[in-house]
Amino acid sequence: MDYDSIVVGAGHAGIEASLALARMGFKTLLITQNLDQIGKLSCNPAIGGLAKGNMVREIDALGGEMAKLIDASMIQFRILNQSRGPAVQAPRAQADRFLYQKLAKKAVETQPGLSVFQDTVTGLISSSDNKICQGVITERGNRITAKSVIISAGTFMEGKIFIGKYTALNGRLGELSAIGLGAHLRERGFTLGRMKTGTPARIKKTSIDFSKMEEQSGDATMYPFSFSYDEVKDRPYVPCYITYTNEETHRIIDANMHLSPLYGGDIVGKGPRYCPSIEDKVKKFPDRNRHQIFIEPEGLDTDEMYMNGISSSLPEHVQEEFIRTLPGLENVEIMRPGYAVEYDYVEPTTLYPTLESKIMSGLYFAGQTNGTSGYEEAGVQGLLAGINAGLKMKGEEPLILNRAESYAGVLIDDLVTLGTDEPYRMFTSRAEYRLNLRHDAADIRLFEKGQRAGLRTKEDVEKFKEKVKNIDAIKDLLKEGRVKKNILNDVIKENALGKTFYDLVKDPDVTIHNIKSVLPELAGYSDPLLDHVELDIKYEGYIVKQNQQVNRFMKMESVRIPLDFNYDAIEGISNESREKLKKIQPLSVGQASRISGVRTSDIAVLLLMLGKGGKK
Amino acid sequence: MKNFNYDTDDLIVALATPWAESALAIIRTSGKNSIEMTSGIFSNREMLIEAKHNTMNYGFIIDPETEEKIDEVLISVFRAPNGYTGQDSTEVYCHGSLPGIRKIIEAFKKVGFRDASPGEFTFRAFTSGKMDLTRAEAVQDIVSAKSREAQSLALNRLSGGIESRINEVKKYVLNTVSAIEIQLDYPEDEGGLAYVPVGDILKAETIIERLLATYKAGKVYKDGVKVVLAGKTNAGKSSLFNLFLQEDRSIVSEIHGTTRDYLESWISIGGIPVKLYDTAGIRVSADLIEMEGIKRTQNIVENADVVLYMVDGTKGLQEDEVESFEKYRNKNNFIALWSKTDIKGVIPPEGFLGISSQDQNGFAALEDKIKDIIFNGAFIKGDEAVLDSERQKNLLEKCLEELKLFRQGMEDGVPLDLVAQDIKEALDCLGEITGEVTTSDLLENMFSQFCVGK
Repeated sequence: MDYDSIVVGAGHAGIEASLALARMGFKTLLITQNLDQIGKLSCNPAIGGLAKGNMVREIDALGGEMAKLIDASMIQFRILNQSRGPAVQAPRAQADRFLYQKLAKKAVETQPGLSVFQDTVTGLISSSDNKICQGVITERGNRITAKSVIISAGTFMEGKIFIGKYTALNGRLGELSAIGLGAHLRERGFTLGRMKTGTPARIKKTSIDFSKMEEQSGDATMYPFSFSYDEVKDRPYVPCYITYTNEETHRIIDANMHLSPLYGGDIVGKGPRYCPSIEDKVKKFPDRNRHQIFIEPEGLDTDEMYMNGISSSLPEHVQEEFIRTLPGLENVEIMRPGYAVEYDYVEPTTLYPTLESKIMSGLYFAGQTNGTSGYEEAGVQGLLAGINAGLKMKGEEPLILNRAESYAGVLIDDLVTLGTDEPYRMFTSRAEYRLNLRHDAADIRLFEKGQRAGLRTKEDVEKFKEKVKNIDAIKDLLKEGRVKKNILNDVIKENALGKTFYDLVKDPDVTIHNIKSVLPELAGYSDPLLDHVELDIKYEGYIVKQNQQVNRFMKMESVRIPLDFNYDAIEGISNESREKLKKIQPLSVGQASRISGVRTSDIAVLLLMLGKGGKK
Repeated sequence: MKNFNYDTDDLIVALATPWAESALAIIRTSGKNSIEMTSGIFSNREMLIEAKHNTMNYGFIIDPETEEKIDEVLISVFRAPNGYTGQDSTEVYCHGSLPGIRKIIEAFKKVGFRDASPGEFTFRAFTSGKMDLTRAEAVQDIVSAKSREAQSLALNRLSGGIESRINEVKKYVLNTVSAIEIQLDYPEDEGGLAYVPVGDILKAETIIERLLATYKAGKVYKDGVKVVLAGKTNAGKSSLFNLFLQEDRSIVSEIHGTTRDYLESWISIGGIPVKLYDTAGIRVSADLIEMEGIKRTQNIVENADVVLYMVDGTKGLQEDEVESFEKYRNKNNFIALWSKTDIKGVIPPEGFLGISSQDQNGFAALEDKIKDIIFNGAFIKGDEAVLDSERQKNLLEKCLEELKLFRQGMEDGVPLDLVAQDIKEALDCLGEITGEVTTSDLLENMFSQFCVGK
């Protein structure tokens, strides 16, 4: 074997997968079609967002890289949803995308045990029975062997872009797609489908009249995504801008709708509902007379600006015409047009929750190739595919995160159990137990899992232990002190007399910072840590209630179904359920119960068979 | 998935005999520690906790909150791995009066039991291997039939009218949930977000309240009510009782109690089955047997849905009945009658309804008053659909509670992520009646209504 593991594609999934494998001690090769495009932010120049920011922090808690990359490249930072409840708050940062890429490239280049190589993978080497993956074949005829292969090809497998009538075999505008790999996988019996996504035009900063737009600044303080850092150092604060489409914009789009490959029928892949192109917005919401558009910087050393909210695949002259109807953009110069891209994705229900293929052992798929959308969704899959490929080579138990402990768990469980027919994006609505999934507690939930996988250094472990110790110490402090008469004020009122400070914090009108003056010991702890404790306390009652549901959920998750379980041998389950169970091969009864179309009564039978499996 | 619970440790309770008036009924429980938990509502706790498998234990069911005796029962105890479900379980043999059964089941719920889903006892028997494996298929049919029933209990039993009403509620709730979830899933600065239509929730609550009222009214038609005639001997009660019997051509049955106790008879008032009691007169007596009779009379009066208190119009309220009259008159199920108004000069004073069994004067007015009390505003209009499943009623009540909690939370400024939990629970309750709302249904609704997405 040339390598322990090969990772195909150096986007957000590939970076995490290859770094994880190398850090676990495996000799790893990262193959990319273009060394200059490692870690490219292909669409919006931002990391994080609702549910997504939580995933970035989950990646970090497990020992991944994304949080550190954005911490060192952010140019604006915000905590979103501050007004809507802590459980659904999340950080988002605008990135200098050129710096982000540079840092990503450096991370993989400097990682011991990781080799980076430019080539295009067009096929797989496998055992004669096709059941074990043994390496890859490249466009230039290289045959490279390995014990495991992770494919994270993004939109590049048979990728095709559309701008009006113009089409090209590109994965991104101007970058050749990986031709052959998709076809090769199809021949080998893998189930592939087509999806589409889109991106808006990039425009020249100096051609914009910002005086006609609203300026949108970030928060006053940047906080790091990574739990390893205490602060974000030396980053500039750059604003974004808001403008709006109007009836004239919509009229132009409507009049040219027939020129859109989306509506002309050229694109067969299904696009995302949650991030519609401007054509979709105009078509589906005719009553809306304007749509909000964000103008975001692509970086510090560039004049390119990103137009968030107006992705389009209309012909370039139409794009120019309607963009120029927006206030402030009357004389705008387009530097790159918006486009749609259609690509092959692997039906994720053909994967185990480890992201290993059910068809070929040792082969993993991760990222956009699995039908998802978003850097964060890709990154977390890459990380877990890498970890699981490594754990398998070590002969250890896989790392499968559950729905109650992480968005990552929700993401992967949804993908492999339900599949997806549009690019899958994470939403907090997808998580049943989101009160437990606060971003600031991602390390409390997941750190030890990353440690078990071997991705945490000694210093990380010390730092984590220190944090846990401090949280307990703050809680003890609050439990010891009681409200006395001399500290009453506008916030701490009569009715609080005699309460412990711990119980006082449960009052919605009181924050832990109100207590700082009477409990000077608190001053020794950082604000984020105090906020963390405050949320723990304020949400305690709700968490207890939710944990009852979680316990019930976990009971079913813990009833394991062996991989070689013979569904054909069970009498008395419906044929539809049997076929679905055979296809999905759930690892637990809990997972089985979530397969759409599997009858509850069949789950009952399954439970019985598993309980009494030994007896005949 | 919420429609069928696979957790076999939960404490469940259900009536095992048909939901109808009968001499005896059996209420069955199962689940981990169910014997100990049953003892929490039993007069002789220790006896039950220590009771051996397959024993009968005599005592009273006690309301755990009020400590009131609910019924005199026998409880049989089954210990794991024996018994029908293979778990610790109990069976309560109680009297078959519907209000009594309901009270016992409520008592069970107060100590931690929940309503069993249809088929759940069978399912447990099945999972603990109480059934022959080779019969898996047969059993599966039972479970599936039952759980299907559970899923849409009653889509089948639901009349079209009820279904469309509940779907209307569901639409309001789903739209509100969508509006909230869109807000939670898109940042504040993004346009196209919805405001939360709290008004929709008020509309939903109104519909649910109306449905619950029809349930109450429906129950009246199905289970009937108790109407008691009270008052002194010779006040004219028996004449009125006989008048009711004469008027009513659809007498179901006639049972004579001890003449010294009371007479009872099923009659029909405007289609409502009414069990009418003619009680022994209330008077002081030294006769032991008669005292016992009076005690029973008082019992009946206390449990009645409507009390008709008759005062002899020729004599007026007597000194020796003032105490009992005052005792009842403050209750809202009380009608004071002034008898013998056919006699010249007998005119009912304020607060009394005059009635004459001779010329039937006042009889129609009495019937109307009785109906007013029975329905208490819960009349069923013409062809209005009637909710008739207790399970649906319970789910709607829970839904209503969660909706009110949600609105209160919105008013109090509770963070959106927390009120979202309440309203999602309300949606789950509706889902249990009409079929679950999945995440993909929700996302579909979110994105079809709100245009978001940078």
